[in-house]
Amino acid sequence: MIPLVYYLAGAIALYVIGMYCLASKRNMIRLVIGVEILMNAAHLTFIVFSAYRTVGYIDPLGHAIVIMSIVFAGCITGVALTIVTYAYRHYGTLDVRKLRRLRG
Amino acid sequence: MKIDWVRVAGLTTVVLVVLVFSMLIVRYGFPAFEYAGPSAELIETETTAIGPEVSRFLWTYRLIDLIAQAFVLFAAAACCVAVLRVEEKK
Amino acid sequence: MFTQPLDVLLIFTITTPVIGWVAYKKANRKIQGIYAALGLSVTAYFLYELYKEVAEKGVVLIVGQLPFSPPLGACLKIDMLSVFMAFLFTIAGLFAVVYSIRYMEHDTGLTEYYTLLLGMIAGMTGVVFAGDFFTLFVFWELMCLTSYALVAFRKQRWEAIEAGFKYLIMSAAGSATILLAMSFLYGMTGTVNFAGLAARLNNATPDGWLYVTLTLIIVGFGIKAAIVPFHTWLPDAHSAAPSPISAVLSGVMVPTGAYALIRILILVFGSMQSVWQITLAVFAVFTMFGGNIMALWQNDLKRLLAFSTIAQMGYIIFGLSMASLSGLTGGLFHIMNHAIMKGLLFLCAGSFIHQVKTQDLKKLRGIRKTMPMTSMFFTIGAIAISAIPPLNGFWSEWMIVTAGLEAEMILFSALMLANMIISVIYYVRVIRIIILEKPTAVSKKATEAPASMLIPTFILAALCIIIGVYPGPFITMASQAAKAALEVQRYISLML
Repeated sequence: MIPLVYYLAGAIALYVIGMYCLASKRNMIRLVIGVEILMNAAHLTFIVFSAYRTVGYIDPLGHAIVIMSIVFAGCITGVALTIVTYAYRHYGTLDVRKLRRLRG
Repeated sequence: MKIDWVRVAGLTTVVLVVLVFSMLIVRYGFPAFEYAGPSAELIETETTAIGPEVSRFLWTYRLIDLIAQAFVLFAAAACCVAVLRVEEKK
Repeated sequence: MFTQPLDVLLIFTITTPVIGWVAYKKANRKIQGIYAALGLSVTAYFLYELYKEVAEKGVVLIVGQLPFSPPLGACLKIDMLSVFMAFLFTIAGLFAVVYSIRYMEHDTGLTEYYTLLLGMIAGMTGVVFAGDFFTLFVFWELMCLTSYALVAFRKQRWEAIEAGFKYLIMSAAGSATILLAMSFLYGMTGTVNFAGLAARLNNATPDGWLYVTLTLIIVGFGIKAAIVPFHTWLPDAHSAAPSPISAVLSGVMVPTGAYALIRILILVFGSMQSVWQITLAVFAVFTMFGGNIMALWQNDLKRLLAFSTIAQMGYIIFGLSMASLSGLTGGLFHIMNHAIMKGLLFLCAGSFIHQVKTQDLKKLRGIRKTMPMTSMFFTIGAIAISAIPPLNGFWSEWMIVTAGLEAEMILFSALMLANMIISVIYYVRVIRIIILEKPTAVSKKATEAPASMLIPTFILAALCIIIGVYPGPFITMASQAAKAALEVQRYISLML
């Protein structure tokens, strides 16, 4: 099997990509996708550890946590998209840099 | 074509960070399950169907989390209704 | 199902929409509020019963059905610290609900409002009762999701939507960071249960990956606990939310982040205690300075109170970072005092806004002439929070400073004293504006707040004075909670 550390490096790369997406994207929907990428990095790590505990067996705790956590990621996305809908109605644009009226 | 230098700098920083972290991780490894004890519940991949076994694990060991998750789903639906509600015009 | 207080809160959360339908049929908008207040009172009663049970038994534990569940199974683990914090949440929620019955009378969607508010308090109670990291995460998500919608509740105004979106993105990134830290802990030990993690990692030699996990935990929970580089969502969210929600967010939800942080750091990262103590203390000092200095030039009343919350969280995290009995007692006592004082200040600010429809300090001058009682309660709250002797803020902040001197963090205690003096400056400025200046045209048109909004502020102001004059029993409660937080070995032995 492929060594564990390569999968871990992939998960950390996903986390860094997610943080970059949150820091640099202007479109509000891309920011929501960035949050999803962050959570998926953690899900990948859980599944990898569950598979590598003993070769040939899986540890169901990791799978159980990921099953429940995917639901939470979906809930956050749902609520975020309703707020984005209203932001579009107020500002007429999906550009997050226009949301700068609250300062100081 | 105009090159946005801030964006180029950001992208190269991210690529460098990913490369550095990957090399560090591959070099130093991870103390996987160093502190773990034996597990009572391991499922064999080759011979058993994983779906029903994980489901059995979920419903026996993680019951509290599942019930709480049902309430979280209800609250998420209430959030969406609250944000999307219709204001009456006066 | 779970314990009785948590059960009651969740059942009332689910049944509030039914009551909302009844209210719609009878065209009466106060029924949902009264039902929510009833639910919180029943919860407070069951919490008192739970307190008696925990005081006699030590710890109350709920697990799944199987006898060997704990290392793998979800569980709730209730000790004195959990009961102390849950009691604070219920009382703060009760005052906010009684206040909202009159404050939110012109808003639509009251059913959703009370459902989400009860859901948020249920989530916070679940966070403090959790004995397993993933159970904590599930209730943490319940608390966070409901708070996103409550901040964005008055969606027809642009401030609420902007503040709500920024808060959501930052807080969701924090939750994802917590999940990644949880996955590394699972990778190292094979369990996510706190007792299991404590038994296995508490005496481990500090390793590179443990430092990485420690960083992720401090960042993830620090976003919610308003530690300074990650605090930028707080002023916008607290000034755009409806005032009773600001009182609950500021008073109890932000300290829940601090609770989760200190619980995990004491239980799991005991071997690296010197590292995280200094780190948290340095962050706490930055937080104090950031909050106090930014509050000096605010002209919006609720934004000023939000920055003051950031500074007070700096004091709390400094107290909690010492991880000694006196430091933890001071920090927990200050969480209690801050919930009361900041709740009082936000509710009084809400009374001003309800009567005069503005948050601008320049327009609220001299409002003492037309709203005498609310101004008096606001003054009591402001004097209390700037740590002036006979009121309660002085006792808790003084305890934190002396604990810092005992723990040989003399420089940090001196910086905290300097911050207390800076906070006196801006609170005196606010009191002077409200009491001593001449009324403007806007504040002359105000009338006194209605009775159902005056009663919670009166009770909170009375509590400030009572705790200030007679702090003994409250300090005893906080120190029992602190002792329970520090007993790691007993926690492990009762579970495994």
